Amino acid sequence: MTDSNEGRKKILVIDDEPSVVIYLETLLQDNGYNTISASNGNDGMEKALEHHPDLICLDITMPEKSGVSFYRDIRKNEETKDIPVVIVTAVTYYGGDPEPFKNFLSSRHIVPAPDAFFPKPIDKKEFISKINELLA
Amino acid sequence: MVEDCLSKFVQEQLWNQVPVAIALIDRDFRISEINSAFKEQYGGGVGRPCYEVYKGRKSRCKNCAAAKSFSDGKTRVREEKGRIDEGEQRYYIVHMIPLRQPDGHIPCIVEMSTDITLTKQLEHDKIEAERLAAVGQTVAGLAHGIKNVLMGLEGGMYVMRSGMDRSDEERIKRGCQMLEDNVARISTFVKEFLQFARGHTPKVKLTDPNKIAQKVYDMFYQKAAMAGIGLKLNLQEKIAMAMMDEMGILDCVSNLVSNALDACEISDKPGRSVSLSTLDEHGALVIEVADDGVGMDYEVKKKVFTNFFSTKGSDKGTGLGLLTTSKIVQEHGGKVSVESEPGKGSVFRLVFPRDRLPTMHKKEEG
Repeated sequence: MTDSNEGRKKILVIDDEPSVVIYLETLLQDNGYNTISASNGNDGMEKALEHHPDLICLDITMPEKSGVSFYRDIRKNEETKDIPVVIVTAVTYYGGDPEPFKNFLSSRHIVPAPDAFFPKPIDKKEFISKINELLA
Repeated sequence: MVEDCLSKFVQEQLWNQVPVAIALIDRDFRISEINSAFKEQYGGGVGRPCYEVYKGRKSRCKNCAAAKSFSDGKTRVREEKGRIDEGEQRYYIVHMIPLRQPDGHIPCIVEMSTDITLTKQLEHDKIEAERLAAVGQTVAGLAHGIKNVLMGLEGGMYVMRSGMDRSDEERIKRGCQMLEDNVARISTFVKEFLQFARGHTPKVKLTDPNKIAQKVYDMFYQKAAMAGIGLKLNLQEKIAMAMMDEMGILDCVSNLVSNALDACEISDKPGRSVSLSTLDEHGALVIEVADDGVGMDYEVKKKVFTNFFSTKGSDKGTGLGLLTTSKIVQEHGGKVSVESEPGKGSVFRLVFPRDRLPTMHKKEEG
């Protein structure tokens, strides 16, 4: 699903759950963003390199290439390393506290932590407000 | 001089200080000599039949190992259930060593029994702890699965409302579809979850592992051929029978083969294949399923036994298959191991140490 309003900022949504992709794309489009989507890390990497999105919403548990691998790769690639990444996941590691998980994503590969972390199901208001802030 | 010392050491110290109950059994199956540990464990017994002292029986045991050793002169080692002390079943490892005279006559058997009740208890506790850990994991996994479905439901409501606000019928329909899909997913989850959580005692009987592998091969051969994937069967000849829940293990092996075929199906390599093997290795029965499909990266590999974790997308996997497999294998005292590399394929092994396999239930014994 792609909204072609020119001049709008572009967000790449990566999730293997079709319902989640439709939801996030609709929500982001309703809030003035263009969207593109991918269903796993490999597909996501291709789209990121091709479309240079302004922000990426990333799921963690996905087929073929998980969100963790994707995140580390995108942060190490010169072309994509500065794109803000918002994690949207149902993982329940560490009792739901996102901080250790953000550290886990960054520490071993010496890459910066993700810009934001939202457990599923997301709080719509907080989610959009964070996206607006990151893209201001 | 040294021989005298050694003989004195064996007779006086070793005989009475070794923490193993030792008895000499004569040809009438009566105990003729005992050491201190035996006296302590059984309260004596010289002159009484061994079966009475060891097992509280009135007649000789079926398959009496001592009788066999008298007849063929071979040493035997067996795990035996002993008397029940204060309601607690005791377990022993018994070594039966025939004492042979220079003329070849065997006047008695030396029976050395080591009490392994505590080891058995620890083993049981470990299996129980593993089972409880699986239950904990199940609860965490359930939360994970529900969150995804909840997000899908919220998404469905949002998309529907957004469609209504814009009078966009297409969007309303899409939202409805999302709601329907996720409600259907809840039903599947609940059904499979209940199936997983239901207390299950394996219905074990002596089973031929090759027969299970052959059945699974027959089930999947056609499906594999249609997808252009080679399915190979490598059975170890004359593999020993094993006490197993045939249907349970059949489910486990089917799960692995089905997963392996899926992994090959999404790989674009030519000549993809899956092999199903049985083998005996270091006292364990091993059933192995290897594929050269897409393989898994570190994060996926870490989570394959977490329930509701699936890489197959919501239309294909509920994420319970491997967890159920792991649970059934644990109930057989075994383990599931996995080796995998992205792009190269995966090898799943069900490893059943033969001495940890379940024993026959009382009611099934007769």
